[in-house]
Amino acid sequence: MASRHDSQETPSDAGSTGLPDFGDNIDLLTFEQILEMDDDEDEREFSRSIVFGFFEQAEATFMKMDASLESKDVAQLSSLGHFLKGSSATLGLTKVKDACEKIQHYGAFKDETGTTEVLDKELCLERIKKTMVPLKQDYAEAEIILKRYYGTS
Amino acid sequence: MDGSQAAGAAGANSSSDFVRKLYKMLEDPSYSQVVRWGDEGDSFVVLENERFTKSILPKHFKHSNFASFVRQLNKYDFHKVRHNNEDTGQSPYGPGAWEFKHPEFKANNKDSLDNIRRKAPAPRKPNQQGGEEALPTQQMDLVNSQLIATQQQLEQLQLRYNEIHMSQSMLMQELIGVQKTVLNHEHVMQNVMSYLHTVDARQRRDSRIGGPFADASENQAPPVSVDPGQQQISPLEDEPASPLQNASKLLSDLNADAQLNYKNLENMTELHNRANGTLTTPPPDSASRNGHQRAPTSAGSSTTMSYAKLHADRDTLVYPVGQTQGIDPMYSEHINNIPYPMPSKDQEIPEARRSTVDGRKKSTQVDPGWIRDPQILLVEDDPTCRRIGSKFLYSFQCAIDSAFDGLEAVNKMNAGSKYDMVLMDIIMPNLDGVSACHLIRQFDSTPIIAMTSNIRSDDISMYFQHGMNDVLPKPFTKEGLLGMLEKHLGHLKKIPNGLDSMGPHSAQSITQTSAAQSLKDANSPNQSPSTISNWHSPGTFQGISPTTAGANPFMQPMHPAAGYPMDQSQLQFQQPHTPLAAPRQQPHRRQISDMSGGDELNNEAKRQRLFAQQNGMAMSQMQRPRPG
Repeated sequence: MASRHDSQETPSDAGSTGLPDFGDNIDLLTFEQILEMDDDEDEREFSRSIVFGFFEQAEATFMKMDASLESKDVAQLSSLGHFLKGSSATLGLTKVKDACEKIQHYGAFKDETGTTEVLDKELCLERIKKTMVPLKQDYAEAEIILKRYYGTS
Repeated sequence: MDGSQAAGAAGANSSSDFVRKLYKMLEDPSYSQVVRWGDEGDSFVVLENERFTKSILPKHFKHSNFASFVRQLNKYDFHKVRHNNEDTGQSPYGPGAWEFKHPEFKANNKDSLDNIRRKAPAPRKPNQQGGEEALPTQQMDLVNSQLIATQQQLEQLQLRYNEIHMSQSMLMQELIGVQKTVLNHEHVMQNVMSYLHTVDARQRRDSRIGGPFADASENQAPPVSVDPGQQQISPLEDEPASPLQNASKLLSDLNADAQLNYKNLENMTELHNRANGTLTTPPPDSASRNGHQRAPTSAGSSTTMSYAKLHADRDTLVYPVGQTQGIDPMYSEHINNIPYPMPSKDQEIPEARRSTVDGRKKSTQVDPGWIRDPQILLVEDDPTCRRIGSKFLYSFQCAIDSAFDGLEAVNKMNAGSKYDMVLMDIIMPNLDGVSACHLIRQFDSTPIIAMTSNIRSDDISMYFQHGMNDVLPKPFTKEGLLGMLEKHLGHLKKIPNGLDSMGPHSAQSITQTSAAQSLKDANSPNQSPSTISNWHSPGTFQGISPTTAGANPFMQPMHPAAGYPMDQSQLQFQQPHTPLAAPRQQPHRRQISDMSGGDELNNEAKRQRLFAQQNGMAMSQMQRPRPG
């Protein structure tokens, strides 16, 4: 299951688009798709609004996640993880997506890959808490890269 | 006198009034000084002209005009008796006396009065007068009765016409129903055929290569019809067994015929409706319209998917002809439905293709060549995904409607919104995608594509069990999305042969995803020319598989999802695959594609892709070692 993202991380023919190297934070193939949708390559209005919309979405989700951790609402955490997984994956934020997926699984009383049941709620909460740290880090890195790309930082 | 009077009363009726009055007057003895019978009783004499005129005439004839009395007498052929033989010329009754005489007017002979008639002109005159009066009224009566009769006839005709009309409508409905059944049957046949084809193809492959994958799939789906002859086919030949070929050729011919018939029938129904615009005839009208929309529900779950396709297929056949169907503004098929291609698009196609071929350059305007903008419902709770998905769809010339969750999607569809395809997220608040699909399937058969990152095989089988038609793994790629559109909306593609401008580009315009793709399109007819009419079968299969227990285990290992964990770019792995056989032109191909609407070229590509998908890794593995 985990290996299915391998192809995403294969380096794309980045030279053709003249995009900066986003490193392994952002999957270029996926992100390029969105850039291609921009009508104006200088303004990049569409992708910009998508990316910045995602920032808002992610930050709101993080706050909800923190609150859910407080209230130990694992189901809600799983749901939030899934929610952010979808949008981060669509943007190609691979690391953020992977972390979100883990949280989704933990919140559903599963192990990291979602294959084995984990009945210990505290263990699940603990794992979610641990995963939140790299999640926020990865997100912050991606945010910096993207904001630099859009020239707003 | 009294006795004769009584007797006279009996005969009086037939005689003239005037004569009777005259007779009665003469019977009165008190007038004898003024007017009396002649001496011989065969005439009467007016003795005193003046007194007669003044006192008697008014009493009996209601006038006092002697001249008119004489005229009346003349009319009845009375004659004044002249006494010319006398020297003096004087009447024996006195100088002023007038004696009148009629052969039948005799004293004491009342019966003979009946013989006294008005003179010739007189009898003629009453006739004439009667005729003049009677004729108009008679004519009027005649005309009146004729009119009434005609009206009655008309009324009866109207009734009869209505009856016939009703029965005709019913017949038409029946006919349409029968036709639908025939189409369904045909589709079932095609499904069977396509199944046989896959089995056949696998059989052939196994006999040649016998790889581990083939073995595995064979165990789960034992060959149904194995033609011993196919074993002799040379390795380069990728032809299905000849019985299969024949069968599918027959089927495709039949298919075309049925569609043509259907078109005629629709024409008829429509003309019929139009001609009877004044008479409200909802039955055939609504039937044909419902046929478009609701027919699949009655077709049963096993054929819903394919049936919807066929239906839409018919639309593509009908529309370019320029037929105006009963336009239902609520019917999405009629919204934005342009029966002719947009002129600008033809120019965009090569361009778009070039851009994809030349590399991943900016290609925002990919035009898959729809006959009209497909109506897509995007059900997605995540705003980022929704926006990007919408943008992609928009760039594929689709009209997009979106729903926040399954509940909204169900409500939209239940409210009568018609879509060509639904892209459905699975995990959503309020109502998840699988439940929403299950609900929608109760009343609608629009293709529903699960759009999710949960793509383990048990997930996928659940999606299919609840009526989903396909799975688009998340995060979806532009190519993956376009592939889904082309796979499930083949009936909305422009007909390459029918439109001259499309001619040379027909193969390329279908798929712009890669050069290899178009290469494959060009070759695909040769790979399996006999499967023309079965292009949609893989989609159907996937739709069916959950409902038929037997097919389910067969489908699972075939589906791309099974191979997914191995390779994220599963959706693209089939693109670089090389054509199996060297191009061989088959003349009858064109013909068949013409007959069945020429959609095959498009669908051939789709089928091809599916074929590759279905056979998964086995396919790509076995292709590599093969030289050509």
